[in-house]
Amino acid sequence: MNSKKIRVWDLPTRLFHWLLALAVIGLVATGKIGGNLIDWHGRIGLLVVGLVVFRLVWGLVGSTYARFATFFPTPGRIVSYLRGEWRGIGHNPLGALSVFALLGVLTVQLLTGLIANDDIAFVGPLYDLVGRDLSNLATGWHKLSVNVLIALVVLHLAAIMFYAHVKKDNLVKPMVRGWKDVPAGEPARGGGLPAVIFALLIALAAVFLASGAWLPEPPPPPAAVETPSW
Amino acid sequence: MKSKILLALLATATLAAGAHAQVKVEDAIKWRQSAYATMGWSMGRIKANVDGTYNKDEVVKAANVIQAIANSGMGALYVPGSDKGKGWAETRVKPELFTDGPKVGKIAGDFNQAANELAKVAATGDAAAVKTAFGKLGGTCKACHDDYRKDNK
Repeated sequence: MNSKKIRVWDLPTRLFHWLLALAVIGLVATGKIGGNLIDWHGRIGLLVVGLVVFRLVWGLVGSTYARFATFFPTPGRIVSYLRGEWRGIGHNPLGALSVFALLGVLTVQLLTGLIANDDIAFVGPLYDLVGRDLSNLATGWHKLSVNVLIALVVLHLAAIMFYAHVKKDNLVKPMVRGWKDVPAGEPARGGGLPAVIFALLIALAAVFLASGAWLPEPPPPPAAVETPSW
Repeated sequence: MKSKILLALLATATLAAGAHAQVKVEDAIKWRQSAYATMGWSMGRIKANVDGTYNKDEVVKAANVIQAIANSGMGALYVPGSDKGKGWAETRVKPELFTDGPKVGKIAGDFNQAANELAKVAATGDAAAVKTAFGKLGGTCKACHDDYRKDNK
């Protein structure tokens, strides 16, 4: 069979993918263990704010197969894939569903996590914006929807195994090396340095907003406040 | 004179009976919630010291509060029927807390131990040791929250 090597996943997409994988492992672990690790849960969460926002922007300005428009799972594409007629490169329509589901659940986790509290000593960086009641509600959702996230990750891994063993298609190698042997198709184009810088700047701005660093300073330390000495 | 003695005896008897009286469900839930809120204040206080400028005195005060509450025998407030009901707010306790005897006892014991340890290291003023003990204590809080407290939905 004639095949050629083409660029499928650009470097930013791959870096995003593997950093996100590590970060999600870290988040689930620190979230489940708690204790002092909850501080790391908060830090890694901010990193993921940056990663997800970067990916959302990259879905607009990245290279061919990283763009949402390229792989958006329209009903027509899904039907054609299920009939075995899809001949595209990159995310197939079912994989694309998984991509959007993961990004969606991660977004829910990030938005709820930023205002959550653990009822011990930790609060998300934007907790002060919403108050206790909404924070408690968000915390409940955060703990519930992490199960959806874990289920999606398991499905993601199962699909990779299925492709490797049943369809004899190794999906991991291209995500590491960036290129893939395909019978036909165009290599990914676009997503140059200006696009990377643009997406990075927006991601950094998002992290800054999420960190709450712009919130008004908390009231001065207790020493400066006159309170009774008892 | 006799009546005075009688009155005194009666008062003593009433007090003694009071000490053993069954705690009312609503009061029990209120006291539970108040105790946890007070510990929440203390945990926040310690965290502020561990993360910011460390003030030994502040930490000692807060750690002693938690230790005292941990050793107060709060189990007595988990009276039958208090798995539901309103104190300051609706209780969020899960009914399993009242039926999982040994498991709950283990969690409570871990919490006690961690609270004692925190108070002990707080007295030394060793900020790093306090941070470790504080994290351990938080972990025991979480163990109970995870299994025996309903989340808000």
